[in-house]
Amino acid sequence: MLRMPFVARRLRYAGMPLFLGAVCLGLYLYISSLELDSIEQRTLNRPFIVEKLVEHIKLTAVSTALVILIAVPLGILLTRPFARRLTPPVIGIANIGQAVPSIGLLVLMAITIGFGFIYTVYALVAYSLLPILRNTMVGLQGVDRFLIEAGRGMGMSRARVLGQIELPLAVPVILAGVRTALVINVGTATLATFVNAGGLGFLIVNALALNRQPVLIVGSVLTAVLALLIDWLGGVVEDLLRPKGL
Amino acid sequence: MRFRGSKILLLLGVGLVLALAVAACGDDDEDAADDGAATTEVSDETTEEEGGGSIAGHYDFSGKSFTVGSKDFTEQLVLGQITLQALEAAGADVEDQIGLAGTVAAREALTSGAIDMYWEYTGTGWITHLGETEPIPDAREQYDAVAEADLEQNEVQWLEPAPANNTYALAISSEAQGELEVETISDIATLAEDNPDEATLCIGNEFSTRDDGLPGLEQAYEFEFPDDGISTMQEGIIYDAVDKSEECNFGEVFATDGRIEALDLAVVEDDKSFFPVYNPSLNVRADVVEETPELEELFAEIAEKLENETLQQLNAAVDVEGEAEEDVAENWLREEGFIE
Repeated sequence: MLRMPFVARRLRYAGMPLFLGAVCLGLYLYISSLELDSIEQRTLNRPFIVEKLVEHIKLTAVSTALVILIAVPLGILLTRPFARRLTPPVIGIANIGQAVPSIGLLVLMAITIGFGFIYTVYALVAYSLLPILRNTMVGLQGVDRFLIEAGRGMGMSRARVLGQIELPLAVPVILAGVRTALVINVGTATLATFVNAGGLGFLIVNALALNRQPVLIVGSVLTAVLALLIDWLGGVVEDLLRPKGL
Repeated sequence: MRFRGSKILLLLGVGLVLALAVAACGDDDEDAADDGAATTEVSDETTEEEGGGSIAGHYDFSGKSFTVGSKDFTEQLVLGQITLQALEAAGADVEDQIGLAGTVAAREALTSGAIDMYWEYTGTGWITHLGETEPIPDAREQYDAVAEADLEQNEVQWLEPAPANNTYALAISSEAQGELEVETISDIATLAEDNPDEATLCIGNEFSTRDDGLPGLEQAYEFEFPDDGISTMQEGIIYDAVDKSEECNFGEVFATDGRIEALDLAVVEDDKSFFPVYNPSLNVRADVVEETPELEELFAEIAEKLENETLQQLNAAVDVEGEAEEDVAENWLREEGFIE
């Protein structure tokens, strides 16, 4: 892969946050220019928005961290020769998690198990397991067999081959999966408001029900900004973690 | 060879599953169509024998066409069907747009001309569509205010409202009511002070920010639910949550919902009459009423019969008994003598 010149890379890193900052500033100025009625004031105030934003970030961060902890080891395990037979059923289950409509999964869990943060995290984990699992497996399977054989031939153990050859080479693909999962989780976490887990979805649902455009704009724009910001962070991390020379 | 064989088998299997699925769906449709045909035949026969119901006798909308819409919850579907079938009984050509996705969608469809009419609630029109924040306590005054303003600003005419009041209410399961001894909302205020752990409340998103929702309620009764006792969730699952009394003892419900009775929930009395009124009224675009003024009279007759108990029963027939909205509407119109 071609490396961008240093300056261009710096600009690329700075570009997105600058753009998102400008969007937020524009949003702030627009909302400040409006005369809000009492219903809009109840949601469009700083403590409330910060509370919802923090809830949203927590849901996204915790569920993505959990999903990485589950999906990456699982992906490694499933690509080991002894576990090949297990691959189809496990991928099948992950597929089901992804295919079930997220709102249905959330409400079903709420009714049968319970409401609130932790159950919403479970639903988000089920929903975003597939991209990371799949990418981990594809990344590992994509490693050139000759490289692995060369490693073994040099006397490396299977574990060292995994740690020093396979995983580093698969990192870009795995991280691409993590970014996908993060963005999915930011979006899906807007549904958490239906099961008492808060998040920015509160603003969106409230605005739709009561026909309050400013609230809708704030809710949707902040969700989009958060998704883009997190995706950007994912990109930076990806660049940092990508093995040198790749 | 073995490989190819298994591939062919797999393809056959997939094909079989798809075929079965399609066949199953198709059967459903046919059954529904059969049912429809059967009931139409029956009603046709009675029509011939007894000369039709009161609608066919008094109104002749033949040659006219209307598009009827509704929001997407049970009561709205039933009201939409009642409207549609009443217009058909008067000989009109009716297009069915019942079940639009929510309040805003239905309203947009009405003002843009995609539909000609749907049932709206006076309080909702006032707060959601006209952007007001303070509801008017008196039912008639609320209706007059919303009807006048909406006609003037948006050329939407509010026909005579029904006596039913699909207002907010707080419900509790009968068992929990026995334990906590809460009869009125003032009792809840006392409970919140003496035993805040039990003053737990499940509410919908809207209710938490509306002036006629929780903020206003807490102001009117001068108490607050403990912050960690309030759960916000999708309105439809509140009934179940209240019934179980795990997530919350109290829940925000709609007064005409059939599940209140079906789940044996008790409505806590609003002893300070805080909640405003939400009388359903058929909203029709002004130009449509101008062309067919008899609409006002026809739907005044129908609206008059729509009491709270009526709507609860009709809603329960759908939500609890699992009957189809169109059958529930048809049976009701027949019982009331509007159609035969």
